[in-house]
Amino acid sequence: MAIILFGSCSSKENGNKELLYWSSNNAAEIDFTSDKVAQWNADTSHIKMSFQPIPEGQSSEEVILAAVVGRTTPDIYANMWQGSVELFAKAGKLIALDTLEGFKEFILERCGQKTLVEITSNDGHIYQVPWKINPIITLYNKAMVSKLDLDGMPTTYSKYLAAGAKASQDQDNNGYIDQWIGYTEVKVIWYQRFFNFYPLYLAASHGGALVKNNKAAFNNEYAIEVFRFLQELYKNNYFSKEQSAGGQDRLFMEGDILTQWTGPWSISHLDKFKPAGFEYDFFPMQVPDNHEGPIYTYADPKNIVLFNTCTQPQEAWNFVKTLITKEGDKQFLEISGQLPRRQNIDKDAFFQDYFVKNPKAITFAKQANFVKGTDNCEVIVEVFDIISQEYEACVIYNKKTPEAAIADAAAAVNLLLGN
Amino acid sequence: MKKKKWLPYLFVAPYLLHFLVFVAFPVLFSLVLTFHKWNIISPMEFTGLDNYTRMFRDKMFWKTIGNTIQFLLVHIPLQLIVALALAEFLNQNIKLKGFYRAAFFLPVIVSGVVVTILWQQLFGFDSGLFNRLLTNMGMDKVGWLIDPDIAMNSIAIMATWKNVGLYVILFLVGLQTVPPHYYEAADIEGATHWQKFRHITLPMINPTIFMVVILSTIGGFSLFIEPYVMTGGGPLNSTLSSVLYIYKQAFQYYHMGYSATLGFFFAFLILTVVMLQKRFIETEEVD
Amino acid sequence: MKKILVYLLLSIAAVSFLYPFYWMVVASLSPAGDIAGLVFLPSEFTMDNYWQMIAKIPIGRALMNSMLVATITTFGVIVFCSMVGYALSRMEFKGRDAIFYIIIFTMTLPFQITLIPNYITMVELHLVDTYAALILPFLLNSFAILLFRQAFKTIPQSLIDAARIDGCSEIRILFQILFPNIIPTIVVVGILTFMNSWNEVLWPLIVIREESLMTMPQMVTLFSVGGRAEGQLGVKLAAAVLLALPILIAYAFFQKHFIQSMASSGLKE
Repeated sequence: MAIILFGSCSSKENGNKELLYWSSNNAAEIDFTSDKVAQWNADTSHIKMSFQPIPEGQSSEEVILAAVVGRTTPDIYANMWQGSVELFAKAGKLIALDTLEGFKEFILERCGQKTLVEITSNDGHIYQVPWKINPIITLYNKAMVSKLDLDGMPTTYSKYLAAGAKASQDQDNNGYIDQWIGYTEVKVIWYQRFFNFYPLYLAASHGGALVKNNKAAFNNEYAIEVFRFLQELYKNNYFSKEQSAGGQDRLFMEGDILTQWTGPWSISHLDKFKPAGFEYDFFPMQVPDNHEGPIYTYADPKNIVLFNTCTQPQEAWNFVKTLITKEGDKQFLEISGQLPRRQNIDKDAFFQDYFVKNPKAITFAKQANFVKGTDNCEVIVEVFDIISQEYEACVIYNKKTPEAAIADAAAAVNLLLGN
Repeated sequence: MKKKKWLPYLFVAPYLLHFLVFVAFPVLFSLVLTFHKWNIISPMEFTGLDNYTRMFRDKMFWKTIGNTIQFLLVHIPLQLIVALALAEFLNQNIKLKGFYRAAFFLPVIVSGVVVTILWQQLFGFDSGLFNRLLTNMGMDKVGWLIDPDIAMNSIAIMATWKNVGLYVILFLVGLQTVPPHYYEAADIEGATHWQKFRHITLPMINPTIFMVVILSTIGGFSLFIEPYVMTGGGPLNSTLSSVLYIYKQAFQYYHMGYSATLGFFFAFLILTVVMLQKRFIETEEVD
Repeated sequence: MKKILVYLLLSIAAVSFLYPFYWMVVASLSPAGDIAGLVFLPSEFTMDNYWQMIAKIPIGRALMNSMLVATITTFGVIVFCSMVGYALSRMEFKGRDAIFYIIIFTMTLPFQITLIPNYITMVELHLVDTYAALILPFLLNSFAILLFRQAFKTIPQSLIDAARIDGCSEIRILFQILFPNIIPTIVVVGILTFMNSWNEVLWPLIVIREESLMTMPQMVTLFSVGGRAEGQLGVKLAAAVLLALPILIAYAFFQKHFIQSMASSGLKE
């Protein structure tokens, strides 16, 4: 034990010529990273990069937390959920990247002012490199839309509800409905709200905040109307309350549901497993009937951070830069199918050939101009959890009015934040 | 003789070390934690009695205790009745006793994880076995795990199924301590089966009943894996057990200080309840 | 007539305890489409669910981990607890009663108190994600010590005195001379420890994050709760069957011992 400790100490003192990089353990990302790391090590002699996928565990958040507590963090970690950054930043475990040379200019050029503001921590520093996003939008079954003879696509609350009335059917006449307009996970676990409440809220509120100035900011008509909309769906049995044994992917492929709220990973999943002749496409999230302007959604951003155990932050940033140049971004898009968080990617001629080859992805690229991650709040997980609790009571079980549920959630969040 | 002096200490040394590291230190540290706010990665912050006042105002925590009580109210009577009935049947000089006993005991030895995964399927709403049986008999489906008024009862039924075999064995041991001539005497006086059970068997196996109640209570208070796997504490937190809530506070939100406070208080509560039960049942015996 | 009713009720009870296991095993061997309607037999038997599960999670590795952890824990408990039990029952020393009361006190202590500090101890000792984290906290327990203490008390003093006169060391007396006389107790402690270790799930969930170190119950729990089973019932059930199998096999051979051991653990109050 002593030898190991001593050994690692002395290697650090020798100038720390090696940086450790943890990627996610998604196979495509591992391919991408190993390619980039090999390239770096071939081009650079004074700093070597070694990489490994994050040790598999319950969730990457927990693994990172354990690493922070045990002081075994990597220098660079490239799969940090945006919502977790503030917690680690406040605990002083991350390097403020805006202090590094060339960082701000580079990010401003790549991502634009809006994103820069979004990722700036409450203390004015920036602790994360925005990397990849998976916007949540509506997936639909083309054949079912024409079969049900819908009055246009279900893009607004009232159109969606009207389509819901048409779609709910008892196909095998056993007294139980077995075809629905959609299905979304009923589990209370906080992150399930990324696939129903949160994108709908961002869509209605033009990318509004849940927490602002250390106060709950969602006690407004947008959140209330989202709850009411979802509550109507369950109340009328347009959505099934049952936890689907097969999962929503299966329900969708078997034609039991017309729509699903999901991200770009569905493209590769469907192309791999769909029945022959199955046709699908995407459109934005549903909005209130009087909605005007662009339709936002949740981006599910995963970002890159440098831990304070890193002794060569400038070099680490130089390496990270190679991942997110135009060329890097395009290579990443081609390998993984996930969108780099780069502004105007849908219009940039450099990326056009990818979208010509993958026409389904263009909806996501266009959507990427109107996305949001999460608010910078140390306890954002708990905020989502509180909303989830009220969601279950109001939306699924109809035990509360939307007004009361949102008000209670806001009060609980304010209590949590110490006001 | 010189050797003998230190030798006993060598024998108990591993225990003392273990006790210090895994019992004494944790209890003290836990107590210290209850006065602090700590998310593991930031420095500890002294907050006085904040955790305690928060606990008394935390409706969710009290709900988890209510949930536990609801579980025990179903679980304990069910367990006592089924275990006692099966033990009474087995005690009647029947063939294949070993087989029955082994069958009843099977769920006891299997991991709770297995039992929960299995029963999650049996309780399924759309195509679970129970609901298929009900619909075949022309009855309505039951929301075993999705109806907030029913879910905790379903878990209590499952827990009874899992544990009752053990209590059958304990009752069987208890029943065999009843001297046969008591029954013979009662037979001469023409006592009915029920009278014999009520006036001879029950008083004689009182200590076993007491043990079963205590064991079930302790088991009920540590309810964790069943709601964790089957319902995640839902629907509407109706199956959120105190241990699951303490676990979530610590390992989902990293409120270490608050979680320790809940743990401390909850442990205190368990000891109190068990002590009260002991007292109550002992006075019953005196009567 | 009354006998028939008793047999009938017992048989209904037996079926209700056995049938769910039967269903689980058969369902795990059924094609995915059959499980929803399964009562007795599927349209065909298939190992598909098992192959899929093996492809998704390193269940073999988890099985080895569980075996290793449960075996070491069991041996440790038998060695260490018997030593303490022997000292408490057969040796005179200052503080003996104090230790005995500490043991009783520890027994009444609910685990909820020690859970979080123990996790922090593991973090501070850098034992998170090691086998040691799964074994060390369970190497000694009050109940096993008390069982051993009770067992050694029943052994005639003359046996020990004779050995001491022959110049046997206390360690030899304990393990060579006394152990053969308390085999039933060793079996009880062994079965209980092994079973508890094998079935433990809360503690591994807390201290093990690395997949290659996960025990079987932990892995099966995470597989079932998390998304990796992709909602496939058969695959989940196959994992559950594999988790139950080792204990079921042991139960088939040592059924009487299992029942006795568990009954004695119930009698501890």
